[in-house]
Amino acid sequence: MMHDLILDTAERVFTDHCNKAVRDEAESGPADDQRGLFPEDLWAVVKEAGLHQVGGEESGSTLVDAFRVIRLAGKVALPMPFAEILVSNRFFQGEGLTTVAEGLVAPWARRAARVVTDDGQLVTEFDVVQGANLAGEPRDEIVFEEFESIELPPNFRAIMAMTRVASMCGGLEKLLELTIDYVGERKQFGRPISGFQAVQHNVARMAGEVAASIRASDAAIEAMDTNRFVLQVAAAKVRVGEAAGIVAEIAHQAHGAMGFTHEHELHQYTRRLWAWRDEYGHETEWQQLIGREVAAVGAERAWALISDCAS
Amino acid sequence: MFSGLNFEPAQLPTEAEILRTGVREFIAREIPSDYLPNSDFNEGHVPAFSRKLGEQGWIGMTWPKQYGGADRSFFERYVVTEELLAAGAPVSAHWIADRQSGPLLLRYGTEAQKLKYLPPITRGESYFSIGMSEPNSGSDLASVQTRASKVEGGWVVNGTKLWSTDAHRNHYMVALVRTGPPGESRHEGLSQFLVDLHGDGVTVRPIKNIAGGEDFNEVVFEDCFVTAEHLVGTVGNGWEQVTSELGYERSGPERFLSAFRVFVEFVRYVDSNPSDEQSALIGRLASHVMTLRQMSISVAAMLQAGKNPATEAALVKSLGNDFEKVLPELIRLATPRLGPKHPLRCSLEQTLLHSPSFTIRGGTREILRGVIARGLGLR
Repeated sequence: MMHDLILDTAERVFTDHCNKAVRDEAESGPADDQRGLFPEDLWAVVKEAGLHQVGGEESGSTLVDAFRVIRLAGKVALPMPFAEILVSNRFFQGEGLTTVAEGLVAPWARRAARVVTDDGQLVTEFDVVQGANLAGEPRDEIVFEEFESIELPPNFRAIMAMTRVASMCGGLEKLLELTIDYVGERKQFGRPISGFQAVQHNVARMAGEVAASIRASDAAIEAMDTNRFVLQVAAAKVRVGEAAGIVAEIAHQAHGAMGFTHEHELHQYTRRLWAWRDEYGHETEWQQLIGREVAAVGAERAWALISDCAS
Repeated sequence: MFSGLNFEPAQLPTEAEILRTGVREFIAREIPSDYLPNSDFNEGHVPAFSRKLGEQGWIGMTWPKQYGGADRSFFERYVVTEELLAAGAPVSAHWIADRQSGPLLLRYGTEAQKLKYLPPITRGESYFSIGMSEPNSGSDLASVQTRASKVEGGWVVNGTKLWSTDAHRNHYMVALVRTGPPGESRHEGLSQFLVDLHGDGVTVRPIKNIAGGEDFNEVVFEDCFVTAEHLVGTVGNGWEQVTSELGYERSGPERFLSAFRVFVEFVRYVDSNPSDEQSALIGRLASHVMTLRQMSISVAAMLQAGKNPATEAALVKSLGNDFEKVLPELIRLATPRLGPKHPLRCSLEQTLLHSPSFTIRGGTREILRGVIARGLGLR
């Protein structure tokens, strides 16, 4: 299967070339307000493998493949605007690195040649006010006068929200793996702390949240070409956003003080989860979208709305 | 996905969605529009309704036709169960027989047992109770003390079973009993017997719960004779059998829909004009139900593929139980104080009164988390 081949390639390239040192370097900078150095070497490897074109129509892959690869990128906390690159490649092709702005704030605009805003403006001449989210990922404000109006694909905000859902699922999986490994190795009172029931139950709860998140995310992806897409993305953003907080909390608790150090890689995942749940609408925004839809159909049709299959 | 846990994407096949339409029409026809179920417990034991479901072929529907079944898929069964539960239909009479006792007999029973017991179940006429817990054995099921002793022509059962739902109005119990020494694992020497709840040597005493209902029971066996034909499966194989039975018990949508009628009443209450906070709450709860459904459908797909999704079922039950407990609490806080007869308040209060049982019945939250931890390789 070509689709599996893409995933295998992505997993191999990401795990071989993205590690804590690469992420640390990408988060560094000459001054506190100038952090964020684009990982050019990693970018070259990603391009070499063709991963920047996944989801593009010429590549023969689909947006479904793009979301699956974005999830893998989330699992290694890939320090580049990978989701924006794939979305731009599919919908807004042009010369040079293109990123997407939520409002006027775009990941890595400092490195981009083109920025597409989520209200349909293509910007090629712009100034940048550097900034970052709480994960240290560049989130730059763009300042511009001229723009070209372009047509966005339908449900664009949902598509962008879906990129964050997929990224978060990758991060959640990684946190579960890190935590299972750590509690199996870390010894206290003469035995691995995985032997303590309190620890086991926390990890079990974590596994439930991760499993629910992945299922919610997959269900949204499965609904992609149907009239349920926005509703399923909304549910996924809500559910995964809720899980992100719970899982990050348990992961840190399990890792103890060690996980609170900058030296440990745990924070590179937990900080991203905390940041991503707020991007393209936090839980409340999407909850209200679903809630209003349910209220509009009314009590007698509420179950049907929740359970109806996509068409 | 990750060690020990695998929720494959699964979508309901077309025939299941076609069936859904029929189930909805049936519900609209058979359940009065002013019917207000308080929770999945109350007034749910209605033989006439169970018989109607039997006529539709919706009980034992995955079983082979020669035993009264309909040879349908687990997906179709999933759709029927979730539609009935979401509507709050009175399904408890046949529920346990359909969900676990029948499948247990199908898997471990003799041909004669299958031919005798399964067809009446599928007709909605024969009801079963669970015989697992005892006064001194709850979560620690291997410690059961009810004993069956071999005698001429059969066995004599002595002991007490507890929390057997509807044993006072059902026909049979599948009882887990000790027939030999526990061995080092404590899992040896257990067997299962089919016991006629109306037979000699059986005393059933209803126990009142905190909601005022008398659904569960103490069942005392005093020199209760059962013939050799009442043994289920193999002598000494009870642990494996009861574990498989628990897999069925934990896998279904009843583990996250117990409080769903409160949600429906809340949507009715806010009508078309919810506040922002009320919309957010409806959306939050709906996103949980949507996700739990998807997970439960994934479990149905594993059952359909002949796999044993014991860990996944425990995980869905655990998540689902926590959800159905928090649902009435959140709705309570999003609703002003209503009059005592208001349907939303009645529904909320009844569900709250039953909610302590959600995380106990069918495996406590603590036991389930242990099962999940084992699946993750932590124990």
